Amino acid sequence: MRIRFKTEGGIAHFPGLSQPVTIDCDQLPTQEAREVEQLVADARFFALPAGAGAGRQGAADYRHYTITVEAEGRRHTVQVSDPVADPALQRLVAYLQAKARALRRVRSPE
Amino acid sequence: MYQRTAQRHSLFCILPPHILRSIAQNGTAQQRTASMQTLAIDHTFRALRTRPRLGVPARPRMLPAEGMKVRTIFDARHTQTLPGEVVRIEGGPPTGDVAVDEAYDGLGATYDFFWEIFERNSIDDEGMPLDATVHFGQNYDNAFWDGQRMVFGDGDGDLFNRFTISLDIIGHELAHGVTEDEAQLIYFFQAGALNESMSDVFGSLVKQYVLGQTAEQADWLIGAGLFTANVNGVALRSMKAPGTAYNDPVLGKDPQPAHLRDFVRTFEDNGGVHINSGIPNRAFYLAATKLGGYAWEKAGRVWYETLRDSRLRPNSGFQRFARLTVSNAARLFGAGSAEEQVVRQSWSEVGIMIH
Repeated sequence: MRIRFKTEGGIAHFPGLSQPVTIDCDQLPTQEAREVEQLVADARFFALPAGAGAGRQGAADYRHYTITVEAEGRRHTVQVSDPVADPALQRLVAYLQAKARALRRVRSPE
Repeated sequence: MYQRTAQRHSLFCILPPHILRSIAQNGTAQQRTASMQTLAIDHTFRALRTRPRLGVPARPRMLPAEGMKVRTIFDARHTQTLPGEVVRIEGGPPTGDVAVDEAYDGLGATYDFFWEIFERNSIDDEGMPLDATVHFGQNYDNAFWDGQRMVFGDGDGDLFNRFTISLDIIGHELAHGVTEDEAQLIYFFQAGALNESMSDVFGSLVKQYVLGQTAEQADWLIGAGLFTANVNGVALRSMKAPGTAYNDPVLGKDPQPAHLRDFVRTFEDNGGVHINSGIPNRAFYLAATKLGGYAWEKAGRVWYETLRDSRLRPNSGFQRFARLTVSNAARLFGAGSAEEQVVRQSWSEVGIMIH
């Protein structure tokens, strides 16, 4: 399973944070890979509509996320904005955010 | 005080109506005549805004007296469920939770600014209660306006501190509500960048007002204090020098242009709303510093009246907005006035020519 995760929007545009990150389960420790697959399954990701929740009228500074999951020959992309209502999808987004943060730190040592 | 009663009283025009009314009641005979005429002129001016407001549903509520704010702070307790639990209501004592108390005080400062300077009674000018949610999500690196309330994350502690830490951020979010109420500037491309710029302008003015700073003294930064020591940067944006607020290995470099020639065409960030806002931001900074004194007295008044101007359409771009600021400067301070010229000059310095 491969996940591509892109964050956009928010109160400012940070070029560094808007770069997409790719998480390849083959590269993860077995335990973590299993957890990621469980998060995707719990969110019923492949059954989600492509645009799961647009920003409310008049809303501003909210972030949106573009998540693409490839697994077993399937590929699906979902765009979602804060606040993410579905708790299972929220957990997936939270994991991806934390992972993206960690990957950026590794890629850009100070 | 002002003898030319047949003419526009430029100084009276920048006085808020409540001060004018006070002069009308308590001033000398001459002052009273002048201020009452100004009130009459200004009422026609305000009445220009006749377009009905969109998208604001009628809601039952208790109407507080004008000038009375009604704040409620909610705690999401690190979930993403809105609004969360009520933790502080209007008049309630400090809770000891820094984010809660900063949100409460910041909303109060923003309300007071709009009331005392523009006699605006909250977001909708009808006393709308001010709601904010803090402790939203986990390590959440953002603050946003959801169309009804302000929402603040705690930050991840690695790059960002809590988002209530900057008063101008709180003012920025609340100003999004004001913009939505007055102009519904579409959150995309140039109209969206104007929407963003209005929030930076009023967010910065709230901070300057609380600190008692003149345009010269202000730092013109948006979100100072938000970055942790790990970040190479001072703030999210600089209105004075767009593009210079940060340059960091993780965050990248501040992408804001300071001039129209560097306008960024992109579909990211809702078509660059937080990027190209640097251009109108700098125009405001230039106008405020050239006019001198407190930025809210002249430049802020011109921008505020432009936001309320019915000629400002939801899809307005920089050119139209700039033309309307010049028009409003002329209406407020007189055609051919120094103020009108300064506003026109400030736009030309960022590449927007108004003839």
